[in-house]
Amino acid sequence: MAILRWGQRFGRPVWELERMRNYMENALSALAGGVDHFRKNYTGVFPPVNLSEDEEKLYLTAELPGVDPQSLDLSIKSDTLTIKGVKKPEAGVVEATFHRREREAGSFRRSMTLPLKVQPDLAEALFKNGVLTVTLPKAAEARAHQIAVKNQ
Amino acid sequence: MSADSQEINVREKKPLDLGGAESTSGEPRFSPDVDIWETDAGLTLVADMPGVTADGLSVDLHENMLTIFGRVGEPKQPGKYLAQEYEVGDFYRQFALSEQIDQDKIAAAVKDGVLTLTLPKQAPAQPRKITVVSE
Repeated sequence: MAILRWGQRFGRPVWELERMRNYMENALSALAGGVDHFRKNYTGVFPPVNLSEDEEKLYLTAELPGVDPQSLDLSIKSDTLTIKGVKKPEAGVVEATFHRREREAGSFRRSMTLPLKVQPDLAEALFKNGVLTVTLPKAAEARAHQIAVKNQ
Repeated sequence: MSADSQEINVREKKPLDLGGAESTSGEPRFSPDVDIWETDAGLTLVADMPGVTADGLSVDLHENMLTIFGRVGEPKQPGKYLAQEYEVGDFYRQFALSEQIDQDKIAAAVKDGVLTLTLPKQAPAQPRKITVVSE
């Protein structure tokens, strides 16, 4: 059989295959509760979060300016992390004319499914300059294990 | 309505509009959300600038143009991103002030990522001080 380049005569069938593969991957990942699932599940609930990982840990950050750290309530139940808190309006503003009022006050609550198993008892949360950082050590089974290659 | 019953709506951070000019670093910059109110004594400006420390903050009043700039201390979180729902970048915003502000009495404080600026009005009878600095 003649060798044909991608995207020439067979461009369209290849593209079709690619599309099918993406579809399958998404479906499987949603079933497994993978990262794509996490991303697509974002429904616009305050606060938006960023999630990153290294070999040992998951890191979750959220920008919560003006939120009283005392009001922050974090909990983990199996692989669901819940963040709750209150942003209070500025106190003692009476007899003032507002020129701008863009900052919102109120309460918030967000639950999210983590993409992998973590060790909840070793989780740490830090609130610094209005940014919350949650460090979640991965569970042993969720970590990648290095396999040493023996040279004989 | 009490603060506890009202839920916060999510809003995307506003990228800074530089009127067509690009930042040289290519990193995103944002326009912070502010509250500004006025009393007989002066103006108060409160700005949400998460991640900005006191060291990274600069407030400048020049010819009634107030400029606030906040540098984010830690723009990157450790590891590889799995999901990114918001971007991190410095904050910048300018305001043209119509009131005469006593420049010497401006006070700035930053706590939990919120900048509070107190801008007292100048006493009307007081002549405007002009400081000439020789270089």
